[in-house]
Amino acid sequence: MADRMDSRHAYFMKQALFMGEKALETGETPVGCVLVYNDEIVSSGMNDTNKSMNGTRHAEFIAIEEMLDKYPRSHLRSTDLYVTVEPCVMCASALRQYQIRAVYFGCGNDRFGGTGSILSLHSDLSIDPPYPVHGGIFREEAIMLLRRFYIQENENAPKPRPKKHRELKTSFEAGVSGN
Amino acid sequence: MDAESILRGVQPLMGEVVPIRSVQETRPLEEYAEAYVAEVNVKTASKVIKALDSKFPRDSSHPQSHLRRFAKHNQIPESLRPTLLKQGYLPSQTIFVLVPPPLPAPEALQALLAPFAPPPREPPTTPQPTEPSSTTTSAPAPADTTPAASKITLHTITVPMQPPLTPPQAELWSSKMWPVVFNPAAPRALIAPPPQILSRVRDSINPKAGHYLALAQIVAAEAEQSGLGRGVGAVVVDPELEPEATDIDPQTEAAEGGSTWTDAIVAVAGDGRYSRREGGNPAQAELVGGGGGGGPNPNCGVYNADCEGGPELHALMRVVELISSKRREDQPGSRRQQIRPVLYGLEDYFLKKSDVAAKVEADDGGVGPRIRSRAQGGYLCNDLDVYFSHEPCICCCMGLLLSRFRAVIFPRRGRMVSGGLASEPVVKPVPVETEGGESTEASEDKEDDSEKTREYYGLHWRKELNWRALGFEFVAENDSTGESCAEKGVPFHA
Repeated sequence: MADRMDSRHAYFMKQALFMGEKALETGETPVGCVLVYNDEIVSSGMNDTNKSMNGTRHAEFIAIEEMLDKYPRSHLRSTDLYVTVEPCVMCASALRQYQIRAVYFGCGNDRFGGTGSILSLHSDLSIDPPYPVHGGIFREEAIMLLRRFYIQENENAPKPRPKKHRELKTSFEAGVSGN
Repeated sequence: MDAESILRGVQPLMGEVVPIRSVQETRPLEEYAEAYVAEVNVKTASKVIKALDSKFPRDSSHPQSHLRRFAKHNQIPESLRPTLLKQGYLPSQTIFVLVPPPLPAPEALQALLAPFAPPPREPPTTPQPTEPSSTTTSAPAPADTTPAASKITLHTITVPMQPPLTPPQAELWSSKMWPVVFNPAAPRALIAPPPQILSRVRDSINPKAGHYLALAQIVAAEAEQSGLGRGVGAVVVDPELEPEATDIDPQTEAAEGGSTWTDAIVAVAGDGRYSRREGGNPAQAELVGGGGGGGPNPNCGVYNADCEGGPELHALMRVVELISSKRREDQPGSRRQQIRPVLYGLEDYFLKKSDVAAKVEADDGGVGPRIRSRAQGGYLCNDLDVYFSHEPCICCCMGLLLSRFRAVIFPRRGRMVSGGLASEPVVKPVPVETEGGESTEASEDKEDDSEKTREYYGLHWRKELNWRALGFEFVAENDSTGESCAEKGVPFHA
């Protein structure tokens, strides 16, 4: 993917990364996404679980909610999602229900990933049609966002774990998830 | 009818709560791999272990404590006896050591074990013909050492890589493959909830589950009749608010027409998938239902994705949002409330009850508000239980895990082909089956033959996921009659 990555995919993923950056600044898990309809970004989202006290407010849901302000849901059938991290099981199912056209993600998600890492909800038997998934676009940038977040302590958790001695890792192993 | 009289009229479902098995239990991962076995001098056994562990350190992320490290002659499975016991040593002379994977290079292993080889047999029999067996690797006997004493033969056998789940499985493996230890606690830790926690929670929710589920169905009916949603409902209970079990008997209490059984309910929500306006267009309820309130929405009879709203309008997502609005202490008329309004009378009733009770309990220095705010230490849906009228879709199942619910309960009759909780098909009663495991296997075989109609995710408890909840199905007394099952109705995401 990375070799043949055309500037269009790169541009949209950069915008998703920008949303992830914004999430990091506000103390949210740094995952960002954009929805692209007719070659145009029609909405964007970033995680909002901490501020909203609602564990289901993932970037994908925020972006879909914003898009549905302007368009009927049938437009999602001609819409692509660019998201920095592989959609979780919840979002992977939601995207299937919304019949998204295609999903492009940065890095894999081996804790919750719903489009290949833990489950394959984009292609499993379901009452909605499957959707194609392409991973690995700006994978390292997406991982660095997450690393910068996870070396911090989670002040929102009832019992934050002390993480004083953690150091930011900057190296990458070749060929792990997300490709 | 007002909420109080609805609640007084609730007729509990009759039946009982059964745990939903994890997918690792219903489809156990049986993984086998090759291991080496070597016959060593019984007197050197402890040195053998030391030598092996220092040369080939064990990988602690793949514990293999279920595999016995040594087998005595009489513990060798029948099928391995011809190969392993053919040297003819006595049980008092030798013992068999297992070298599990990852397998070291045979030469290195043979060299390591050479000092522990059994002494040459007396009187020396005719030299053993070297058998060109594919499963046996003979050490090249160096000319400058005593050949007979240093010769270690490695036999390749197959061993189970996962710990046994049941004593019968351990026995089977021990008799066919290699001696295996059954540990009732260790193997289950990852693949299923600890049995004592599971049974304690089951026993505590069983008495009132029929009430909560009956209320979930009433909430569902309210949603359907309004035309704003499908007939799906959710009821959230805070186990900490349950009155002591001895205080009231829910059966008697309900019979007397009271509603104190609702004390632990913190929020309810119905499905609202037809209520949202998208792209400035009227909502489905307005388009076809004339503004709602006119009975079930005609879209209920079909599955047309364009008219389904979205998962954030499902009962689970809506009840989570109602609870988080209390955590955030949203003011009336806030932006979130405009986007996700309270839709139904029963939703409103319980939200208001939360406000009132908060003041009362705080005044007398009691346990605090029914839904604690962020400032008071409330966090997501930590430690709450959720009861559904139907098996929630996989999106909502993950949503409830991310919300950190403690337990999820739905009626077996509410199973959905799109559901994310069931982990296996309903096992029809089999005449006189004593062995539970066997009857399940039989039914799974049958399922494989027929056409697959749904996935069985068992999402409540999967060892791969970071968060897990206890999952239960409510089996009604008359379920076996096979009447109206949602799994056979119009498919949709509940």
